[in-house]
Amino acid sequence: MRVMIQLRPAPDVVASVMDTGAASAAGDVAGDLPGVAIDEAFEPVAVPRPVSLSPYQRMQFSMAPEDASVLVRGEIADGDLATRSALLTSSVREVAGVFADPHIQPHPVCGGDGPVGDWQEVRRLLHAEELWSAGHDGEGVTVAIVDGGVNADHVAARIGHEVTLDAQRSWSPPGVPARPGRHPVDHGTMCAFDVLLAAPKATLLDIPVLLSRREGGSLADGLLSDALAAYAHLDRVLRAMPAESRALVVSNSWGLFSPDMDFPPGHPGNYSDNPAHPFNVIVGSLEGTGADILFSAGNCGRECPDGRCGYPDRTIVGANSHPAVLSVGGVDTRGERVGYSSQGPGRLSERKPDLCAYTHFAGSGAVGPADTGTSASCPVAAGVVAAVRTRRSAADLSPAQLRTLLHRTADDRSTVGFDYDYGFGVIDPPAVLAALARQNRTRAA
Amino acid sequence: MIQVRLPPDATLGDALRLLGLSDDDADAGFGLVPVAPGRHVLRVTDEAARRVSHELAEVFADPRIEPDDSS
Repeated sequence: MRVMIQLRPAPDVVASVMDTGAASAAGDVAGDLPGVAIDEAFEPVAVPRPVSLSPYQRMQFSMAPEDASVLVRGEIADGDLATRSALLTSSVREVAGVFADPHIQPHPVCGGDGPVGDWQEVRRLLHAEELWSAGHDGEGVTVAIVDGGVNADHVAARIGHEVTLDAQRSWSPPGVPARPGRHPVDHGTMCAFDVLLAAPKATLLDIPVLLSRREGGSLADGLLSDALAAYAHLDRVLRAMPAESRALVVSNSWGLFSPDMDFPPGHPGNYSDNPAHPFNVIVGSLEGTGADILFSAGNCGRECPDGRCGYPDRTIVGANSHPAVLSVGGVDTRGERVGYSSQGPGRLSERKPDLCAYTHFAGSGAVGPADTGTSASCPVAAGVVAAVRTRRSAADLSPAQLRTLLHRTADDRSTVGFDYDYGFGVIDPPAVLAALARQNRTRAA
Repeated sequence: MIQVRLPPDATLGDALRLLGLSDDDADAGFGLVPVAPGRHVLRVTDEAARRVSHELAEVFADPRIEPDDSS
């Protein structure tokens, strides 16, 4: 265990530590401390002594060499820790105390924090230019934005190029006016913008399930049955494509926050934990027909969960944790997991999230200063999937094979291999391209 | 939502007849949605869901879904 050791050496030694013109070595100050491996790279630090003239006065501190102490850093074997610490303080006169030196980490980005980086930086991090020059720009690939409606004009104005949206193959739930690509600027518009960061030439479908107005619904939610009907539509869209060139990516930045409206786990009608729920069945069926389905992991991460989160644990629920989908967590542009990104294990499939993509950056301008939540990281990853699909149809590389490729090539974070914070790591398009190139060479040989 | 087993070309009317429900019990706009071969879903009122025979239909939760924006 790493420790900080407080020493009270002779005043001339303290004075030399405080002398900014002379570098002090930790070994010179600490001498030989039995059982402690002193960190020579850590320069000793003088620490003032609190002195109180009277209990009624504000605390004062003295840096006089005869008062101040010196801190050095070292390591004590874990098994020896208690005994060694006690021995040091009792038998070495200069040792005033032994303190823990825990690993500290920056506080993760939370919901209310300002943007970290912008969408141009996300494009750089995704090596988008590299993708495009290799012909992976999303052309000919259909991406369904299953969300709250897209405003294509806003996306085009913001991103600076034309947006292709197929109104004919878009779909609206019953009761929602069909105006594909012309919805008010909001969450679905953000999703569309974020898809186009990696796949600017993808063809978007507008599937505004969250606009469904059912009794008791708020302004931005729908019912799961609306999503089910949307998936039945997408199944028809996919089957209408020639089998050898199918390329449909489905981006879902929504989920179930609370068990209140669900049957409890174990009940045959339950959704959150039940692979036999019709929506979970149709998700598996659509993936089996060749669709790449991506879901946001959710915003119920331990450090700063969304206020709506009602599950005490295993917060990646229902289709967001389906084994046949890519569950996407969120990292900021520094590669650090955002504090609200839900952690695994998932409920339908334990090893969730699958991977992370970028979020919390200044982007679409559709929902405020930042594109936030795993709502943003999901379409960013969906754009990468669409870019890959430009040259590899589902007949050539099945959705399951593509997920494995994305797992294998993700930039591993945290512990070695899969972990419940980052999944397999951060999505890494250049590594995907390299793996695809290797596959091509093997096939050609 | 409730799930019934019917042939692939079945209609909402076929499902309602099978379950002994009236037109008012179901959401006609939603219709009869195919989920998997032989399996279809329809949206009915809570009261109708309580009435249907569990031998003919399975009742499933239809929870509200919300965007995963951060707040």
